[in-house]
Amino acid sequence: MISTLPKDHPLAEKAICCLAEKASECKTFYAEDMKITHCIGCNACWLKTPGICAVKDDYEQILKAYLQYDVTVFISDTALGFVDYKMKDVIDRILPMATMYTRVEDGQTRHVPRYKKEFRFGLLYAGNGNQAYLTHWMDRFCLNFHGISLGAFPIESYEEVDICM
Amino acid sequence: MHVVIISGAARTQSRSNTAKIIAALCEGLNSSGNTSEIWYLSDRKQWKSAKTAFEENQNILFALPLYVENVPGIMLEFLAGLSAKERPGTRISFLLQGGFPEVSQGRCCEEFLKTLPAQLGCGYGGTFIKGDMFGLSLMGEKIGGKLLQPFIEIGRLFGENGVFRPETIETFSTPEYLSEKQIRMSNGPLRYVQRFAMWYFAKRLGCKTKLEAKPFCENELQEAWEETR
Repeated sequence: MISTLPKDHPLAEKAICCLAEKASECKTFYAEDMKITHCIGCNACWLKTPGICAVKDDYEQILKAYLQYDVTVFISDTALGFVDYKMKDVIDRILPMATMYTRVEDGQTRHVPRYKKEFRFGLLYAGNGNQAYLTHWMDRFCLNFHGISLGAFPIESYEEVDICM
Repeated sequence: MHVVIISGAARTQSRSNTAKIIAALCEGLNSSGNTSEIWYLSDRKQWKSAKTAFEENQNILFALPLYVENVPGIMLEFLAGLSAKERPGTRISFLLQGGFPEVSQGRCCEEFLKTLPAQLGCGYGGTFIKGDMFGLSLMGEKIGGKLLQPFIEIGRLFGENGVFRPETIETFSTPEYLSEKQIRMSNGPLRYVQRFAMWYFAKRLGCKTKLEAKPFCENELQEAWEETR
């Protein structure tokens, strides 16, 4: 689980605790304890040091965790009906998981995945998120990273994220 | 008309494809007596001025690259720091560019962009989407110049109308999807051309491994996995 909410956010605490109990192995990253900057769009992870991000902060451990664990649950605040910028920064940095190469699949161009892994991503959000849009965005994001979306849900409905699917 | 252009690109101005597109757009926009000012969010020192320009002007154009189906995190941070305008009259338009060739790749982001002006107390001036922009910086001046050429006319039309009119979008914002023939080419012979081109660019940038390298695999991952147990 990757949370950009404060560690003492009561709903996040409850959701993390309950989801952790359901999982056989679980690790939680709290962005507030980490240095994670935004993607600078340098393309080094595609063309210069394939698979390795040029920004040297605490993000690399998250990249490795995407591969080590079966499911990733993003836990975020919202702004303008969408995830807040802290979570968007986290998700933008996922690019090293794809390669520079592309191919057309189901009528649209996709990046060829770097690893043989079917990612599963879910989103829990606090505040006034537009659930219909966030669900659509998660579907699109997963589609381009050859993953499966577990959906986007208000944090109160954390039980909807079926981490065991 | 005076247009405030805010670049939401994270890449520094000198290396930014969005900056190149803005320059071409301004060539057309300013050719018919319009004026423009440009702010780059990649430079934190410009944020305060960009915010003031947003507050004090009525024609705002955000130009941005597509990042994971939506606006880059850096632009989202800037947007979240803006207050909704109390007086009507401001219009926000968007120019969205991406690396994939299909315009349809930008539709999910467009859906979000459409909601922003109302949330910021402004009107909506349309979203212009253009794909296939990845090579702008890599392909050299000649091919890059060709890719930028349409933006001069798009800028001129934007200057005339103050919005991205449906006719402009219909003419220049293409293709929505690749044709069957283009798909066959992309997945067939062009795949090898692409691989060679990428390999060439990578070598030029000093890449020492294969582009499909898996740096976090096998031994290293196994060790990390065992540490968690």
